[in-house]
Amino acid sequence: MAPRYYWKGYLKLSLVTCPVAMTPATSESEKVRFHTLNKDTGNRVVSQYIDSVTGKPVTDKNEAKGYARGEDDYVILTDEDLDRVALDTVKTIDIEKFVPADSIEWVYLEKPHYLMPDDAVGNEAFAVIRDAMKSDKVVGVSKLVMGRRERAVILEPRDEGIVLWSLRFGDEVRPEDSYFEDIEDEVDPDLVPLVQKLIKQKSSHWSPNMVSDPIQTSLLKLIDEKKKALKPKKAAKGKAAEAPPKNNVVNIMDALRKSLEADLKDRKAG
Amino acid sequence: MATGHRAQWKGFLKFGEVSCGVALYTAASTSERITFNTINKASGNRVNRVFIDSETQDPVPKEKQTKGFEIDNGQYIIIDPEEVAATIPESNKTLDIEAFIPCSEVDDVYFDKPYYLTPDKMGGDAFVALRDGMKRSNVAAIARAVLFRRVRIVLIRPHGKGLIATTMNYDYEVRSSKRAFEEIPKLEIQGEMLDLAKHIIGTKKGEFNPATFDDRYEAALADLVKAKIEGKSLPKPKKVEVSKPNDLLAALRESAGLLKAGATEDSKPKPTAANANQGARRERAIRGATSKASSSGTTPRRKAS
Repeated sequence: MAPRYYWKGYLKLSLVTCPVAMTPATSESEKVRFHTLNKDTGNRVVSQYIDSVTGKPVTDKNEAKGYARGEDDYVILTDEDLDRVALDTVKTIDIEKFVPADSIEWVYLEKPHYLMPDDAVGNEAFAVIRDAMKSDKVVGVSKLVMGRRERAVILEPRDEGIVLWSLRFGDEVRPEDSYFEDIEDEVDPDLVPLVQKLIKQKSSHWSPNMVSDPIQTSLLKLIDEKKKALKPKKAAKGKAAEAPPKNNVVNIMDALRKSLEADLKDRKAG
Repeated sequence: MATGHRAQWKGFLKFGEVSCGVALYTAASTSERITFNTINKASGNRVNRVFIDSETQDPVPKEKQTKGFEIDNGQYIIIDPEEVAATIPESNKTLDIEAFIPCSEVDDVYFDKPYYLTPDKMGGDAFVALRDGMKRSNVAAIARAVLFRRVRIVLIRPHGKGLIATTMNYDYEVRSSKRAFEEIPKLEIQGEMLDLAKHIIGTKKGEFNPATFDDRYEAALADLVKAKIEGKSLPKPKKVEVSKPNDLLAALRESAGLLKAGATEDSKPKPTAANANQGARRERAIRGATSKASSSGTTPRRKAS
């Protein structure tokens, strides 16, 4: 699936600037999702905006963002207006500082994104910034407007690209002391080596297989069974359109993708 | 036990044959951001959202709504919420450690949400022994539990006197970085370019505490709205000059020279004329939002390149 770029702008280190594109590292597109249906008709239920005063449906092109300046008094802002907020950080990731790679606490990591050059003209500049961070074992610190907030971000070189993490704000991370204060500092020193032995026995290497989702598998099975019940197999006819059972999973993936596309359309409207 | 906080989950942490009572507390919450109201442009009124049947256009009340999965275009399988619920195994209230992995192998792009993991009154010793054993062996633990109506995988690691349990995104929720980056040409930078870039990094090394970071967006948006109300034209987005491949070495040399001649403080080099966004910097300085230092008089002179 071709990535949909979430953001395009510039990466800057001192006087070196290159065009970059960014895409979220996480995605819900492969997740089993359900639509809301009308029990009576079996049709999809969709959301619609109606004018709060006239009660009439509002068309997509008349939907606008309103900034409340008083009660029932809104200033309409277009996306173009919003791009003109007087912050360089709307379009430019200017790396202001570099810190040791392990110095940012994990609790501050909010959401990962993949950052890459957006035009061949910037390939080399991008590579210079990336490789210099790699060779110095540092991450870059900058800020960027994301989702109507200006966030601190860090940039970690990874393979040929850069992972950009948005960071949580100070008031979003709860102070740990009040949670941990009652915990003992030490324990019977004989216990620790035993635990370490156990750790050794159960030690393993990281693999994405460790984060599989049994429920997703069950849901896909449930859907598959229902689908079979819906369309009894006409094996005798051997119609070309009938897929052999072992391909069911593939078909479900197609259906999932399709349902995602429809769902995206909905969300846009909603 | 953490007095005065409400636990998100209480249960047992199990490793080998050892188990101890523990609780999970939300470590990070999401603070509010600016929200806009959706307005009908034609009337200036706010809009309400209703749910209608896509064919008949009639409103569909909540009790008539059910869930379905689309199999073919327009064809749905109705799935009863109870059937979905039945796929979730019954919770045994146990955070079961399946493996320990070296801290260096942890792939952070899988991180979802962090929770503080603390012992209850009874489990103290086992908890502390696990914490210290993990610290000494420099490992993190992969554990599984039914949490928040899903089978969640969490990564547990020692943190201060406690443990932090981070829920992990599932494999299908994380895009492969290999694939995301596959079209980036493989360039390895060496020699003077790398040295210059490392030199620039050296002048900008410091410490960063995310807790001290300030969000300037709300104030900037308020300014924008004010300008719009007053009918002033909004500032045009400034054109950003991209470094041309042929000029890259010169830009690096110039940056390195500039930083040497100019700022000695670690974090705020003051870029001068060269490329981006000088205008906004000046505006902010006038508004008094940032230091006054960046006006033209104090900037180091650019070396001819």
